[in-house]
Amino acid sequence: MGRAPSLKTDPAGGVKPPVWDPLVRLSHWLVALAVLVNGLIDKPGAALHVGLGWAVLAIVLVRLGWGFVGPATARFASFPPAPFKALSHLGGLARRQRPREYPSHNPAGAMMVYTLWALLLTVTLTGLVMTGGRSPMTIAADQAAVNSGDWSALVKQAPAEDDEGDSDGGKIVGAIHETAANLLLILAALHVGGVVVESRALGRNLVRPMLGRGKA
Amino acid sequence: MKLPRFAKDAGRRQSAALAAVVLVQAVAALFFMGDAAADIDLDGLGPESAVEALVSLALVLGIVTSGWQLRRTLETVQSQAQALEVARGALAEVIEAQFTRWALTPAERDVALFALKGLDVAEIATLRGAATGTVRAQMTRVYAKAGVSGRAQFAALFVEDLLG
Ligand code: HEM
Repeated sequence: MGRAPSLKTDPAGGVKPPVWDPLVRLSHWLVALAVLVNGLIDKPGAALHVGLGWAVLAIVLVRLGWGFVGPATARFASFPPAPFKALSHLGGLARRQRPREYPSHNPAGAMMVYTLWALLLTVTLTGLVMTGGRSPMTIAADQAAVNSGDWSALVKQAPAEDDEGDSDGGKIVGAIHETAANLLLILAALHVGGVVVESRALGRNLVRPMLGRGKA
Repeated sequence: MKLPRFAKDAGRRQSAALAAVVLVQAVAALFFMGDAAADIDLDGLGPESAVEALVSLALVLGIVTSGWQLRRTLETVQSQAQALEVARGALAEVIEAQFTRWALTPAERDVALFALKGLDVAEIATLRGAATGTVRAQMTRVYAKAGVSGRAQFAALFVEDLLG
């Protein structure tokens, strides 16, 4: 009510900017939270760290499946990886041109998401290798046993540590885990920076559609 | 338009709940299967493994089903929004045609449309940057051309069209 009966002028040139579906939104904020907690707060190797890692793996797998069967805005087909388009998009931003609207991610955003997914899979899968696939429940139980003075849990773990922990292969896996995790944090920060820049350039707040506001 | 918004909200709540269910199911499924795999690693295959396999299958089917339902719900919400858009467009056409038949002037058309949208004289005057007296006079002319006695009757003409 109270709006003028306007002729609808459409600066986007007919392209409807995306309204993210609830699965994309919820999975995003859960993954973002887990990345921050695991990257900055909790203790690597602890049951919580491993548990969050498992949860992230499950969520990312669902999101990747959703990329094939979800609504148009969530489909990979709507944001194919296009490195050159991504570069020209960034170039346009640098030259302070107003970017065009895309029905899903803009080309630079698309490259970022694919990279983030690849890193999330790398971090979680190397994490699985490092823990010998032991579940968070097992880790919690072992930790509780050790805490109560039963050191046999450590002995049980020992062979696994031998193949994975101290060998060269284990070290490499650990190094990949750490490097990918750090890269993930840096790129996430860059990604938030990208959201700010693109929001300014487009003149609309890109956080809102990620919170489920805006017109459906 | 108040009513259709309720329907949209219900659809949104439902799809948000379904999305949460899908994700919780996926996390639970992975944890369960990881645990089952550890059991098999430790004790070998046993009668328990068969049960675990069955439960795993059920969990995966659950995820697929909820995902499918979520997709259906999102499609329904979208097609409702589209239908509403079409209805709006159609109503706008009906209104435009009627205004033309009544030979409203451009200023009268604007005022009449604002009046249909429920704005009062003061609001219309502010929006058009005109005096309230002018707006009131324009509205009186609109009502005269439409052959109605006031705003309620004027709006009713179009509601009647909608309800058939
Ligand atoms: C500031 C507001 C933010 C907005 C508008 C935003 C938006 C987005 C969007 C649209 C995607 C693609 C999601 C998809 O297609 O599934 C994405 C992915 C991602 N974002 Fe953000 N993001 C924000 C903040 C953050 C923060 C604070 C983090 C912190 C870690 C983060 C980490 C990620 C990660 C890891 C991905 C890829 C994984 C995924 O979501 O499935 N984002 N973001």
